[in-house]
Formats: sequence, C-alpha cells, structure tokens
Amino acid sequence: MKSLSLYNRTSTLGGIYFLLLVNRTQMHYFILIMPTFLVHSYMVWGIIVMGLLSQLNLMMLSKWFTSRYAAKGYQGFVQLFGKRTVQIFAILGFLILLPKISIITLGYVEMLHSFIYPSMNKNWLILMILLISLFVASHGMEKTLRFVVIAFLGGVWIVIMFIPFFFPPIANYRDLYPLIPTEWSEQSWRGLLFIWSALSGPVYLAFMVPWLSSNKKIMKYLVIGNMLSIMEYSFLFIASVLFYGSHYLSKINFPLVYMGSYIQTGGLERIDYILISFHMFTYVFDISILLLCFYGAGRIFMRKMNEQTTRIGLLSSWFVILISIIFMNHWLWQTVPGQKMLLNIQIWIGAFLYLLVPTILFTAVKRKESM
Amino acid sequence: MVPYKHYSLLAIACLMWMAGCSSPYVENNMIEEIAPVVFWSVDKGTEGKFKISTLVPPLIQEKKRLLTKEVDLLKQGGKEFNLIYNRELKQGQLRMVLINEELAKKGDIEKLVNTILVDPDISMRVYLLIVRGNFDEYINNQLTKQENQDYFLYRMLKHYEDHNQGEMSIVNIHQFMKKLYSPLEDPILPVFQSDKNNFNYVGTAFFRKDKEVMFIQNVEDEIFQLLGNDHFLKVLAIPKLSVSLGRVRSDVRMKLSRDYSSLSLHVGLNGRIEEYQGEKEIQSEEQLQHVIQEIEGYLEEQTSDLLKRMQRLKVDPLEVGTHSLKPFSKEITEKQWLKYWGNMKINVDYDIKIQPLNNVERLM
Repeated sequence: MKSLSLYNRTSTLGGIYFLLLVNRTQMHYFILIMPTFLVHSYMVWGIIVMGLLSQLNLMMLSKWFTSRYAAKGYQGFVQLFGKRTVQIFAILGFLILLPKISIITLGYVEMLHSFIYPSMNKNWLILMILLISLFVASHGMEKTLRFVVIAFLGGVWIVIMFIPFFFPPIANYRDLYPLIPTEWSEQSWRGLLFIWSALSGPVYLAFMVPWLSSNKKIMKYLVIGNMLSIMEYSFLFIASVLFYGSHYLSKINFPLVYMGSYIQTGGLERIDYILISFHMFTYVFDISILLLCFYGAGRIFMRKMNEQTTRIGLLSSWFVILISIIFMNHWLWQTVPGQKMLLNIQIWIGAFLYLLVPTILFTAVKRKESM
Repeated sequence: MVPYKHYSLLAIACLMWMAGCSSPYVENNMIEEIAPVVFWSVDKGTEGKFKISTLVPPLIQEKKRLLTKEVDLLKQGGKEFNLIYNRELKQGQLRMVLINEELAKKGDIEKLVNTILVDPDISMRVYLLIVRGNFDEYINNQLTKQENQDYFLYRMLKHYEDHNQGEMSIVNIHQFMKKLYSPLEDPILPVFQSDKNNFNYVGTAFFRKDKEVMFIQNVEDEIFQLLGNDHFLKVLAIPKLSVSLGRVRSDVRMKLSRDYSSLSLHVGLNGRIEEYQGEKEIQSEEQLQHVIQEIEGYLEEQTSDLLKRMQRLKVDPLEVGTHSLKPFSKEITEKQWLKYWGNMKINVDYDIKIQPLNNVERLM
C-alpha cells in the first residue's frame, strides 16, 4: 500500500495565517442562523461583550501557541499530560468532532437544499460536499491550512453585498429601538451562549501549532482576526434587524440568505445563488480541517502515531463521518425536536470547549513551567 | 500520487451511482419545454374555492391563452395547469400576484401570501396587487390587442417602484409581510380597477392584520404618498382650488406627546406652482400668499379627515406607532397602541413653500 504523508510540514505559516484562520473558523454555519437566535437589536451589545471575552480567551491561547510544548505537536502534549491522558483526550476529541462536523454539514446542506436544490435528495448534497472536503483534506494539513487564503478571499466580500440594507427605503432605523435590553429572558441567555459557541472555532487551532509559526508576535493577529469576526457579526446582524424588524426576524430560518435573494441588480437576479456558492469555500475549508483533526485524533487513540498515515485511514475516517451524517439526517435532523436537540448539543459543546481548552492548556503550561 | 487520489474519488462516486440511488435531479428546466409564468391572479370561486388564472406562454412567439381553474388550494392550481397545457409551468419568474378585492376584504390573504413565500423558486420581490373587477376578462381581451401585456404590467410596476416617485403605492411580498408582523405598522397594498378594456391604478388599500378595512383614492391617496409612502409627488393637483403643484417634496415631522394623548403632525411641502386656472392674480406676492394659505387650509382639512378615518378603523399605515419607540424604554404592545391611537387628538399643520409660475411673469 502506498503511503500518504498528510501531516508533513515543509515550512511554517506566518502570523497573517492566524488572522485568517481565526476569522474563517468563526464564520461558518452559525452566522447564517445567528440573527434568528438574537432577534432583538440590543443583542448587538451581546456580540460585542462576547467578542471581548473571546479576545481574553485568545490571549490565553496565544500563551499556548508560543510555549515550547505546542510546537512539538503530539510529543508536546505527551510531555504535558502523559500518554494515557492524551489518549483519553483524543477519544473525547473524536467524539466531539463527529457531531460538530455532522451538524454544521447538515446545517449547510439544509440551506443548499432549501434555496438551490429543493427537490434533490439531501444525501447527494451531503456526499458531494464531503467529497470536496475530502479532496482538499487529501492534500495534507499544510496545504489545507493554506487553503484558508482562498476561503477568506472567497467569503469576506459577501459582507459588502449587505451594505444596501443599511439605507432607506429598505431600512427603517426605528426598528433598532430599544437600544438597551428592556427585558431579559432565558432566550437572551441562550443568545449569548450561541454567540460564544459561534466564536469557538479557533479552539481547534491549538492542535495545529506545529504547522504554524510560533513566534511571539501572533497575539496581534489573533486579536485582529477575532475583531474582524465581531465586526462581521454585528454588521450582518444589524442589517438583518433593519431589514426584517425584530418581530418578523424571529420567524425566518435563514435570514441572511433570504436577504441575499432580495438583492437585485440590473443584470442579475437571485444573487443568493452566487453568495451561497462562495460561502461554500469557508465551509469546505472548515470541514477539511476538522476531517484532518478527526483522523489525527483517531490515530492517537488507536496508538498509530509512529506509523505512516495511510489513504485507507483517511478514507475510513471520512466514511465514519459520512455515515454518521446520513444517519443523523435520517433519524434526527428531519424532525423539528431532533434538529433542535442536535443544534443545542452543538451550541453547548462549542461553548464548553471554548471555555475549557484554552484554560486547561494555559494552566498546564504554567504548572509545567513553574515545576 | 495525485492522479491516484483522483481515481479513488471517481471510484467512490461511480460506486454510489451504480448502487442505485435515485437520480439527484428531478426537475427538468429545459427552456424549450417550460413556461415560466409572470403572474398569478387569484379570485373568489364558487363554494369557497379559489379561481386562479395565468397567461401562457409568457414570452415565446406562440399563440397565447389564458388558463383558469377553480381549486381548493393555490398550489393545486399550478399542478392542474400542467395537466391541461403542453408546457410545464414554472414559478421561478413569477413577478406579480393579483388578489381580488373581495378576497382581501374577507381577510385571510396571509395564507395565500405565505404559500407564495415558502416556495423557494419565488423571489421575495413579487409584487402584490389588489384588483377590483375582473382581471381575467381584461387580459383575455388584450391577447389580440397587445402582445406580452402581462410583462408590460410588470415593467410598469417596476418603473414606479424603483425611485419611489409617488404615483402609486407599490408593495412586494417582503414589505407586506414585514408590516404584517410588526405590531406598530399596518400593511398597505395598491388597488387596481379592471374591466374589459382598462386596467388602472385607483388608490391604496389599508389592512388591519391581513384584512382590507379601508380604501383611499384621489387626493387622499396623494396625501398618503406625501405623508408616508414616498414623500414625493410629481403632480399634486387640487381641482377645487384650480391649482396644480409640481415636484412636491414633503418633510414630515411627527411628535407624540408623552402620554400618547395627542400627535402633532407637521408637514413641510416644497414645490412649485405648475398650473393655475383660478381667478387670483398670483403674480403679486400678496395674492400668492393668499392662495398658499388656501392650499394649506385645504390640505390640513383633508389630512385631518383622512387621519380621523384611520383612527376610527384602527389602522395605522403611516407607522405613527413606531414613533412611540424610544432608545431606552420598552416598546408598547399592539393592543395598547391601538387604544391610544383610537383616542388620539391630532394637530395637522402644513407649511408650504412654493416657487411661483416661472418663466411666465416675474414677481412684482
């Protein structure tokens, strides 16, 4: 059997990659449904507060990025926690990644299905998207990380298309009132949790340090990347409040995509098709990275770290994901309670991970250093 | 090594294909075989049914004809049209939905609009129109007289929508739904009169929830365009005072009192006299001021009447309610607002600044 070197590295990627990675891992499926969760215009303060907390979190992570353990990859983790614990972590990671990949894929496919291919069998869409991700992932970790540049350039301009929504007659600025929270319910807490979970993407960067440069200056890039996401979040959210008004907004499943379909130019109508297609770059990047993480976690808990990566290994992890998604779609996603449950699971897992991973790594490094 | 990878991907794809999954595409959009329709017209049928009709084929050089069906459900209509017509009807290019006024007065058009809204093929920019009289008769009659009349109707609506020039109230599905769901605004729709030979704009219908409760036309409609919808009128003709104002821009300021017991409405109008058939010598400053005062008085009276009717019927298409929203306090509920709105004292004040007849004679 021919071997496949997925995790080789020839050079390390510079600081600017951190910026792009942080930003793109925060801009996938959750941004599409965020306005429906936040609804009231004052939740924009929630985005800002959560964004600032996320900055603190990233600062903690940057301590890890610059530590000498991180650069060593797997060996670094073993030095910190011991072989046994790392294996347990890997199993946990394996179990956490599977629903994460599945749920964001299902979410994205649902959008594709409801806007572009309403009469297509969803399994085909799932298969096609995963095939693209497999193709990207099969080029190895380094190239996939480099793919973030394409994902960023493909996705970031979409925000510009939403500028017209800030001007009358489409926008009615009185819809933004009241500006401060006048009542605070369980729904608002859920909104905050949702934002936190949406910002949790960069957690996975903690395991990719060997491919990234670990010089001291990366903190700046992490912070700018996160700021960019906060700006995109609040921009898109305010645009959707202006467009729908709070009362109508809570009833729409994909507010931003519907707004895309409202944009009309002289030559082109239904620009949403183009926007959805370009958003796919971000999405494919995310899934490919997670797929490689997934395979990596599998290798660790199967104790195959010292062997070469194989094509069969990657393909079988891909198949596990494919089958998991198809079953989840079949059993859970297609019913409303099932979909809500999956989404809640994802929100909670994301939020917990973003809280725990940086803290654990930070304290572990600190403890080791003081010893 | 790279080609090997491609092979494996290809192999998987082929395998899935041969495994006998159903074909991914089930829709046939071959352009020569479909008929993308431009409008649906929905009328009241017998025994609580809908009568829906559309014109096919829309743009191809082929003999056109009007399809009409009586159905229980809107979607059923689209399906049955396919069975009686050789091309498949597609809704992707749907631009207008015409709803008969009787249906609108009965209420429940929200369900109709929802049906259109949930269809992923249909854009949210579809125009909604209320029709008085029989539209089918009109379009059927036009088949021989004017080709592509349905498309030209759409172009007309689009023309007046683009720059809000105040001739008509043009409303698309999104605007209608947004106002329907908002507790402090009420939706409006344009009303068109239709008979065998004519199809023309007559005024604006106001809705409480999804039920038509009020209709305005002529001067009242013009005032409504100035106050709420477009804030511009190309021509404001006042036959009673034998004067036409042109290029009128309005600047509307509403001020609600703290306890919502009164509203002062200040309207500044900027325009010019473009026509005068009256007796006065409007070349002189004094007489001109007199005419202006007359116009102000007339508009104030008309506006007060219009607002009183709105209050009586408890509709708020001018979105006065949204002026009760404040940055730092909770918004009031729809029920509360309607109670205040019904009993509100309204002060209307017009302030008109106009240029006299240009180029004809200088001001003395």
